[in-house]
Amino acid sequence: MDWLCIGLSHKTAPLDVREKMALSPEKIADVLQRVSNSVGETMVVSTCNRVEFYALARSTEKARGELHSVLSSLGGDNSLQHLYEHDGDSALVHLFRVAASLDSMVVGEAQILGQVKDALELAQRVGAAGPELVRTCAAAFASAKRIRSETEIGRAAVSMASAAIELATKVFGSLEGRAALLVGAGEMGELAARHLRSARASPIFVTNRTRERAEQLASEIGGQVREFNELHAALTVADLVVCSTASSSYIFTKEIVFPILRARKHRPLFMVDLAVPRDIAPDLSELDGVYAYDVDDIQRVVADNSAARAAEAAKAETIIAEEIARFVRSRSIRDGIPVLAQLRARADQIAKAEAERTLANLGADLSEKQRRTVQAMAQAIINKLLHEPTARLRELRPDEDANRLADAAAQLFGLDSGASPPADNPRPPRGELKTAGSGGSKR
Amino acid sequence: MSRTLLSIACHEYATAAILYLAFLVRQWRFFAVAGRILIGTGLLIHAVALGSALAGQGGMPVGLAQGLSAVAFLLLAIFFVLDLRYRIPVMGAFIGPAAVAVLIPALLMSTSGEPMPSGFRRPLLPVHITIALIGIAAFAVATGVALMYLLMERQMKGKHFGVLFSRLPSLTFLDQLNKQLVLWGFVALSVTLVTGAFFSSSTDGLFWKWEPKEIATLVAWIIFAVLLNARFFAGWQGRRVAVLTMAGFCVLLVSFLSSYDPSRHLGVFR
Repeated sequence: MDWLCIGLSHKTAPLDVREKMALSPEKIADVLQRVSNSVGETMVVSTCNRVEFYALARSTEKARGELHSVLSSLGGDNSLQHLYEHDGDSALVHLFRVAASLDSMVVGEAQILGQVKDALELAQRVGAAGPELVRTCAAAFASAKRIRSETEIGRAAVSMASAAIELATKVFGSLEGRAALLVGAGEMGELAARHLRSARASPIFVTNRTRERAEQLASEIGGQVREFNELHAALTVADLVVCSTASSSYIFTKEIVFPILRARKHRPLFMVDLAVPRDIAPDLSELDGVYAYDVDDIQRVVADNSAARAAEAAKAETIIAEEIARFVRSRSIRDGIPVLAQLRARADQIAKAEAERTLANLGADLSEKQRRTVQAMAQAIINKLLHEPTARLRELRPDEDANRLADAAAQLFGLDSGASPPADNPRPPRGELKTAGSGGSKR
Repeated sequence: MSRTLLSIACHEYATAAILYLAFLVRQWRFFAVAGRILIGTGLLIHAVALGSALAGQGGMPVGLAQGLSAVAFLLLAIFFVLDLRYRIPVMGAFIGPAAVAVLIPALLMSTSGEPMPSGFRRPLLPVHITIALIGIAAFAVATGVALMYLLMERQMKGKHFGVLFSRLPSLTFLDQLNKQLVLWGFVALSVTLVTGAFFSSSTDGLFWKWEPKEIATLVAWIIFAVLLNARFFAGWQGRRVAVLTMAGFCVLLVSFLSSYDPSRHLGVFR
């Protein structure tokens, strides 16, 4: 089993490619169900800036082929040229960096951690994520939290929303008393609303396809609700427009906005599109007095990271290196738990031996299918019986408790690192028996 | 003596201009503060130099050299006031080099010699010339602001967020500043036209002689009149206004230069 991460992000793919790849949770669930059987434990992190498959692949080659075909079916063959790939521990590092928001468009923004958590949850729900993936993500989340508390990266970082508001000040100077229109009252819209309010933009109009959500946000930030079909009237009054809807087609096009400009008496109009796929047609900024930006543009604004933020990012990288090292260490200890291996080997032997004995007693007049059924039954009993103890031993962090429990298991099942295999089967099991390691049974 | 003082002022301006350009590249407060101090002291020295030269001429700059020197002085004085009021040292990177470029020819030209023609000792003339120069300087600064606007807009529209993007003031601010400067410049230009006509009628008995400078000034006046009307009544702003400001200033420049008589060695305001 080896880690594999294949995907594309704002660093490799232009917006129009990412747009095609923006996946709904339903779609992700569907894809996960399709690939996880053949690939192994899988999860998909899909945000407006990235689509990434993380897989604990049984065979890297096979998984790569499978994921490539999935990605090209989603985004077309062209999307393959924007892919990047990390395998082994480099995939692990990538996951940790993504979760810690070091790979984000706006380094240090807080949303990404929640998005990765959602990705894992979804993968668990459809049964694509197994214990190893969960454990790895948990470690990545822990390291992200540590970075958040031990570095200033979150403080220096502005969300996309606040970067957008900052850009607006390059048009208007102060935003005080400027009318703002929020189209879409989702998470991103809410963030934008808070920044708008602290920049003292007023009035703030909120519009959303579902009115309840718009009302809720409007009451939180002291805004006014506008019906979605009154959008054009609101545009006549607004100086700033922040779009963040899940709409799959453009809400504002040249044809819609151009007639409104006259009614606005050519006052400058600042529009920012935080949605992927976009809400604002890209050719809108060709209009005189209209300043329209999408997420990629916003990224360019924040690209000139301050030296302070770079220093914080460097600190964060150090933490990641530490956390990865710790995780890898604990994983190798976990993998090497000899008790588990011995237990498994012993059980397999017994299952096989008992199946053989039963088959011998039954005589030769059994069909091949019947023979296999008997063998499978023996194996199934063993598996069911061992499932719980195996899972519990695996879940434990390598500490004193784990050692104690491992010791107990070894005693209960009569395993001993020094003990010879049972007499009725002198062959040592196929290489699985490891000599007792640091985390194993010590007496 | 006034020449030496002028030269000192010019050196201060040039140093300030370099500091302001450096400020554009690297935003160290030191550059802005030092630039401001140099411009301030330079203006004082320049004022003494100009004052001593003009004292003997009824307070009126005579000849292209003094005209240019006065324009450079007014240009920087306007910038200095604006910088104190709005803290826009970035503008120094535009106005500073322009003022130095105007002042250097003034320094190179000979200013001594020829007395003023007798017919020019009229009470209205110093007012006419001073206001005309103030108008030119105001429009020159407005043109600088328009240039800044166009550069900033290009950055914003082209989405190339470079050095200028982070340094220049907001579009709205530049647009408003342009509005103020053009408005003041327009008032000065109108007064110049009226006083010029009266002066002309008192010397030649004609209000209007279809001279190039008169035509150019009138054209510039019409451009700015249209611009202000469009701004106040049709809601024009931004790029169109900036471009028109620059066009109007170019015409005005023709008017300014044609106010000097090339047939005379010195050039005198006619």
